[in-house]
Amino acid sequence: MDRAGVMGNLLNVAVIVKLEPDFSEGNVSYNADGTLNRAETKSILGPHSAIASRAAFYAKVKYDAYVSVGTMGPPIADFALQQAQAICDADELHLYSDRIFAGADTLATAEVLKTGISKMENGKKMDIVFSGHRASDGETGQTGPQTAWKLGYTFLGNVIDYEVDIERRVVIAKRLITLQGFYDIIEEVEAQLPVFITIDPSYKPFFRTISQRLAFVKHMKEATNRAQDYKRYLKIFNAQQLGVDMKLVGLPGSPTIVYKVEKIPKAKASRKAEIVDGSDSEQIRKVVTRIRDVLGGMIIR
Amino acid sequence: MNTTISSRSEDNYQHLYVVIEHEEGKPIPVSLEMLGEARRLMDDFNKRYSSHEKVVAVVLGNNVRKFCEELIFYGADAVIYAESPELQYPKNLVYTKVISQIAKDKKCVSKISLDSDAEKFRKPRYMFFAADNIGRHLSSTVLAELESGLASDINKLVISDLEIRHEHKTKGQLVKYNKTLEMYRPDFSGFLWTTILCLDNRNPLIEREYHPQACSIIPGVFQPLKQDTSRSGVVIEYIPKLEENDLKIRILNRKIVKSAVDFDSCKAIISFGRGIKDSPEENIKLIEELAKELHAEVGISLPISKKPYAVSESIKSKYFIPDRVIGTSGRKVMPLLYIAAGISGAMQHIMGMKESEFVIAINPDESSPIKDECDVFIKGRIEDVIPKMIEELRKQKVLMEVRK
Repeated sequence: MDRAGVMGNLLNVAVIVKLEPDFSEGNVSYNADGTLNRAETKSILGPHSAIASRAAFYAKVKYDAYVSVGTMGPPIADFALQQAQAICDADELHLYSDRIFAGADTLATAEVLKTGISKMENGKKMDIVFSGHRASDGETGQTGPQTAWKLGYTFLGNVIDYEVDIERRVVIAKRLITLQGFYDIIEEVEAQLPVFITIDPSYKPFFRTISQRLAFVKHMKEATNRAQDYKRYLKIFNAQQLGVDMKLVGLPGSPTIVYKVEKIPKAKASRKAEIVDGSDSEQIRKVVTRIRDVLGGMIIR
Repeated sequence: MNTTISSRSEDNYQHLYVVIEHEEGKPIPVSLEMLGEARRLMDDFNKRYSSHEKVVAVVLGNNVRKFCEELIFYGADAVIYAESPELQYPKNLVYTKVISQIAKDKKCVSKISLDSDAEKFRKPRYMFFAADNIGRHLSSTVLAELESGLASDINKLVISDLEIRHEHKTKGQLVKYNKTLEMYRPDFSGFLWTTILCLDNRNPLIEREYHPQACSIIPGVFQPLKQDTSRSGVVIEYIPKLEENDLKIRILNRKIVKSAVDFDSCKAIISFGRGIKDSPEENIKLIEELAKELHAEVGISLPISKKPYAVSESIKSKYFIPDRVIGTSGRKVMPLLYIAAGISGAMQHIMGMKESEFVIAINPDESSPIKDECDVFIKGRIEDVIPKMIEELRKQKVLMEVRK
């Protein structure tokens, strides 16, 4: 157990988070044509990033892990780090921020995150890196697995539950696999550390024993205190401080570009709707009769 | 016009590779849909450019040789398969390694056809994956390994010759990019279409080639071809090179589970969207009540899974969950009766319900796209219409009881 000697932490975990538009009513603003009004919409820690932070908090409570949180974004993205720290009681926060990073696609973003993760906890190797399942705005779900691949970590996607065997240095994880037109599958896997885990939206941590619950309360309190004073834990890196290859990040490092954005043309009507006045009880009565016919097996279009 | 650059590396990239997914010894529907679209694109491509590039299906598994011909009947010119007990189930690490090996293998290309210049071949020109739980991750890691670009969740594809002027890609010069795959992806709102291109850097300061041009494709979007057993093609075995390090992950067990919400076994589904917004809690209770009357399951549109409203914790955890989402980000359903309450009808949602037998929409706005996707459009708000429907259902039920 020579690992334990230096820092006292048997497990180093990292979380990758993202500042995203807040889609909750009252905060989100839509344009007249149904598209998001980005200027008017506030930004917060993305909901999937919050779930990933919860998974890291589980490691903090259960395995007394050292937790680092990282994000790439503009200077205001430190707000996402603060919110994540309030969830996972992070020991350090990393913001990778440089104008050269702007406009990066997933591959160029993964390059920055990979480099950032290698700098966490003074360059110690992370055992587990968590990320959300996908961002609410971009929704590609590519950045996590691409970062994993660049790090050379085993990638586990859609994880709904995990435990670590500290002695054997393995993680045992349950993954949810859903395929269109097929049943769901829960796959239980065992993988050697280090691993990169994207957390499924249905993840829910449980703290079973008394000692875990005590640790839970202690760390929750610590998390709140730390987040109030988050700048003490914050390190900001620009491209040069990270030491990234400038050709591999930002727009120059992005294989893809957005060529054009257009409104999706209205599809040809696939059905011809009969229009019913919702305030007319007699018309509703007819609709209900048709519902009963349809469900009774008599299809009348 | 800078034509020398565009033709210089022409033969380095050839063919369209389609990564096939399968379950229970047969390809899943999206695999055949991808082959259909690949066939249409490459037939057109070969005619337009007088070339002979192929649709190449790539299959990994334990016992997959037996359905390779089927992939040819559905549009592939060639099938490259790799078999090993280690490949029985999709494991990201080893699958990424093997698919990337195949994508760079000259020997396979030499067997695909005599027309291919296998010596020059470096990587596929185009590559397709399924945008599902497996393909989404696999496409990401394979393209990280191949160091090229990837667009996700695509529902329209066009190949064309484009003239591009871009600050970084072309250093502001107008450059012709031939045989470029235009990849259309609907954004999260469902109202905007973004076209993604994967382009080589032709800027001398950052010169770099990016191939394959790859994407993941939304299940259910493209039509598969009709199976044609007279089609012929080549089947090529690839012997994967695995190292001990690639097998750092073990599958302990695999269990089939019923999804938390069972849409498949109910005759009726009621879904709600942002139209509940004026009084979310009360409206959801109305929908619950109507669902009870109809023995219906309750679905939601994608925005609802982002928990946009302040409602009680019990309602939030019961309804504002990804398991209930209907559409391309969730489930595809085809009940006898589908009621869309307060749903505007973004394209992603329509994809998930359009095969329902009978569709009713409840919406105050007659110009919303859902109107073109339903059989009956009830103009009105949830809070006004649903109580009337519940009342009428109960009345008619009582009548039925009396008649018995």
